[in-house]
Amino acid sequence: MSKAMSRHRDAQSIAVSFTLNGRLQEIEVEPHELLLDVVRERFGLTGVKLSCDVQVCGACTLLVDGRPVSACTTLAFEVRGRSVLTIEGLADNGNLHPLQQAFIEHGGFQCGFCTPGMILAAKVLLDENPNPSEAELKHFMHGNLCRCTGYKKIIESIMAAAKKMRGGRA
Amino acid sequence: MLRRFRLDEPESVAEVSEILGRFGDSAKIYAGGTELLLAMKEGLVRYERLVNVKRLKGLNDVVANNGTVKIGALCTHHQLETSSVLQQRLPVLVKLEQNVANVRVRQAGTIGGNLCFAEPHADPGTLLIALGAKMTAQKSSSQREIAAEDFFVDAYETSLQEDELLTEIHIPAPTANARSAYLKFGYLERPSVGVAVAFNLRGSTLNDVKIAVGCAGPAPRRVPEAEGVLSGKSTDEAARNIAQAGVIAGRASQALTDLHGSQEYKEHIVGVLLKRAFQAAIS
Amino acid sequence: MQFEKEVEISAPKEKVWNFIWDVDRFIACVPGCKEAKTLEDGKRYAATMVEKVGPFKVEFPTTIEVLEREEMTRIKARATGADNKIGSRMKIDLDVTLREHDNKTILGFVAGVDILGKLAALGHGIIKRKADQVLDEFAQAVKQKLEGGA
Repeated sequence: MSKAMSRHRDAQSIAVSFTLNGRLQEIEVEPHELLLDVVRERFGLTGVKLSCDVQVCGACTLLVDGRPVSACTTLAFEVRGRSVLTIEGLADNGNLHPLQQAFIEHGGFQCGFCTPGMILAAKVLLDENPNPSEAELKHFMHGNLCRCTGYKKIIESIMAAAKKMRGGRA
Repeated sequence: MLRRFRLDEPESVAEVSEILGRFGDSAKIYAGGTELLLAMKEGLVRYERLVNVKRLKGLNDVVANNGTVKIGALCTHHQLETSSVLQQRLPVLVKLEQNVANVRVRQAGTIGGNLCFAEPHADPGTLLIALGAKMTAQKSSSQREIAAEDFFVDAYETSLQEDELLTEIHIPAPTANARSAYLKFGYLERPSVGVAVAFNLRGSTLNDVKIAVGCAGPAPRRVPEAEGVLSGKSTDEAARNIAQAGVIAGRASQALTDLHGSQEYKEHIVGVLLKRAFQAAIS
Repeated sequence: MQFEKEVEISAPKEKVWNFIWDVDRFIACVPGCKEAKTLEDGKRYAATMVEKVGPFKVEFPTTIEVLEREEMTRIKARATGADNKIGSRMKIDLDVTLREHDNKTILGFVAGVDILGKLAALGHGIIKRKADQVLDEFAQAVKQKLEGGA
């Protein structure tokens, strides 16, 4: 399902072999193509959002080899040989990830625009630090902005998911 | 969408120099891209070629030996904030790196790229000046060392030549008597004022005081005039002189009035941060 | 942004005045200025201004119009230009005055500079600093050309 962009006569083509949400993909990109555009346009995965375009808001957060990057400021060829996770790949066969479940149960989103980025970033936080303090959570999530919620419910959702993932009840 | 460019992926410093020498202004070094790609997206710069330097070997490690900590220019901020070598030898730098931008910028952005882009509102340069760091600049046939305090020339301008590549940063490993602190202030996305202080404390006497201010003006700079007011003094006397040092450092910062604040405000904040950094370093 | 500069030149007023109207040599004193041309003698001139702040380079094809002229005393001019690559426009209102003092000529500049468009993203402070540098170098270059007998 990858629709190539119209080719410029002298276009330089880079072969990019990578796993996207667990599946191997092989595409060709030009050097200037951004990861955000390739994920949204070629693969139709629109959970990742274009928002500030300057790496400040986090709405374009994707995980590359388990690490958070700004898809708006990452050249697509940089994911060759790596694994990319989008929000669409987080649920396991229809079973929501505890973070997704927690955001629903604790009202962690309103318009939902920042939410895919929030959840992916929170996943990295909890992978690194399964029992974060609120200060540690806030420091890690500092680069993910939300205009709707005032953050309280987001923090509650992440803390609840963390507790669940550590084996306690949420 | 970015404008089209050709990508070069050299595997040696010599190749990098050759490309830069041949294409001049129309080629640019590309590492993490966290500053470069933003400027390109804004249309403020255009390049026909980007030279991806991430294939160069040996430039992304942190090594401590013989009293020097060597940091490869391609180390990302994330590598630095999680480096056990740095945590042991230079915790003040670890703390700075933990607070650079946000988690995504730290993931992709390199210390080399940060220093070479020389954005005025950046953190590492200021502390590296106070720590007496030296930058290694390489090109095809030669290399040279540039003291951190001579590295930053002006806003977005370093003393690197067009075909030179920053490869390493060497920091003298602090001794048991060494004290240092870096404090910054800002409420926008980038820091507005940054102050670094470093000195040796023997008994209750301060020696080898180094003070650097950054972010307020076009480039970070060392402030020997303020250092003179504290160096060789007892901690009590230095504490009495700190306000005066703050005024000197504020004026030396070449603070520019902009969205981050007026010149007077920034000069004032320099003084406040210098006092607090001094207190933090002493304790 | 407003700038004011004065430079003292060891040359008689007439020589300084004539130098100003020797457009090629006068405009050549502006750092980054090239290809000065006369479009209408005494009234309209053209030049290309190239300035750099680090990696950020602008090239403004510029038109200079003489608005007022008081013989041997004063010139008011306006320079406008646009860099379409970067999407920025520039306007400079220049007030140049000459007065005699102790057998020397005091050449004064008052410049009102407006930069619009993308370049403004660099920040008011950086642009102001750059413009100040350019004006400073310009004044020094004029002084040198006139005193050096070039």
